[in-house]
Amino acid sequence: MEKIVETILQYAQKLVAEGVVGDKDMISMRSGLNYMYVTKAGVKLADLKEEDVIKLLIFKVDKEYLYHAEIYKERADIHAICQCYPKWVMPVAKAGATIPAVLDDMAQIVGPSCKTADDDVHSILKTLKGRNSCLVKNSGCITSGRTLDEAYTCVLVLDKASRCFVASSVIGENKIINGFEARLMRFVYKKKYSKKNQQNLSQLEEGEAQKESSAKEEGEA
Amino acid sequence: MAWDKETELKLRQVIKDSGVALLKENLVQGTWGNTAVRLDEDHMLVTPTGLDYISLTPEDMPVVQISDPSVWSDGKKPTSERKIHAAIMQARPEINATIHSHPLYCSILASARIPLPVMSEEMEKLVGGECRVGAYGLPGTKKLKNGTVAAMEGRNACFMANHGVFCAGKDMDEAFEIIRIMEKSCYEYIKQCTLKATGETTYSDELLFDYFVSQFDEKGRKIKGNKKQKKA
Repeated sequence: MEKIVETILQYAQKLVAEGVVGDKDMISMRSGLNYMYVTKAGVKLADLKEEDVIKLLIFKVDKEYLYHAEIYKERADIHAICQCYPKWVMPVAKAGATIPAVLDDMAQIVGPSCKTADDDVHSILKTLKGRNSCLVKNSGCITSGRTLDEAYTCVLVLDKASRCFVASSVIGENKIINGFEARLMRFVYKKKYSKKNQQNLSQLEEGEAQKESSAKEEGEA
Repeated sequence: MAWDKETELKLRQVIKDSGVALLKENLVQGTWGNTAVRLDEDHMLVTPTGLDYISLTPEDMPVVQISDPSVWSDGKKPTSERKIHAAIMQARPEINATIHSHPLYCSILASARIPLPVMSEEMEKLVGGECRVGAYGLPGTKKLKNGTVAAMEGRNACFMANHGVFCAGKDMDEAFEIIRIMEKSCYEYIKQCTLKATGETTYSDELLFDYFVSQFDEKGRKIKGNKKQKKA
């Protein structure tokens, strides 16, 4: 099995185990500049098999895969995407609200806030500008990262932050971390983990390069 | 060193098992959270930073000096939160085990910076009264450490503002009982507050979701009349 497919299957299982998926979740990873591996639309992550992870050219996709393809086209810095429907994110997406920095890990991993985009590609790209995650009105959330691990972690953090945001409505209000401290934490986190993620990415790219090179060799043979 | 090798080996296993138990009981997410156990007056074993609890071995746990947590030996690089564990162990000689984590329901009260009233006799007995909220401080800062120590005075648990919960016990079993009762009590508190806010008699998550959604207009803005969120 290809390494990239194996990674997608592994993280699909992790998302299911954490209970942060719904029925229409979809995860993908960039492959080079022009391709992505994505889980087949309509297949639940819990039921995902090797043959359900397909390779698509990002310039020519069916509408089910449009959000992923357009994000990869627009954002060269993004290498993995999770489109998920976590239970506690849903009411925030339904309300169309913005999740503020209610927890340190939200500020670090997602950023000082997470906005809700309309359910169309232009709004999603606009809302994701300078960010790695957004909610989608009346739907779920889209998280991204340089690695699938980063996008996966964002889903977990968003679900927990949403739980705090939603449940705080009955006990008072969230006390939000001030903007300066939230941005400072985000900066420190990005600096600290960029090296680690860059290493992961390099390994992945190395794997892709080796694969392409052996395919070329086979072709020449 | 004022402890024997046999005790150290036993405690290394205790701390390894504590990490796995936190994961199994859904009291921690991923590698976020840490535990410590006292070896003697001035030394403790802690969990290492950023490593998953399943693959960690008892030998990976570093020994940290309580009076100066920058000093450590053996094992892997200790958790960056070790200063808080050390400060509690130094201030409270009767404490031998500590847990810092971010369980889901405890995190709600921590993010709202609302103290948890005594919810049961069990909570009174284990925590020692209402659970206070420590002053907010950035991770790793003196402000966070001092805020946690102050909020723990006369208690075995406190919330760390916008962060999580800190629990302490005479041993790891007791520290676990405390974090369990904290999470259970926070859940009960949210349930009670939801029923009070909605006027309903049976709790469901959906009831809470509907109440939350009703507070926003169609543009995702808080409807007038609701208190504006306070900034820290």
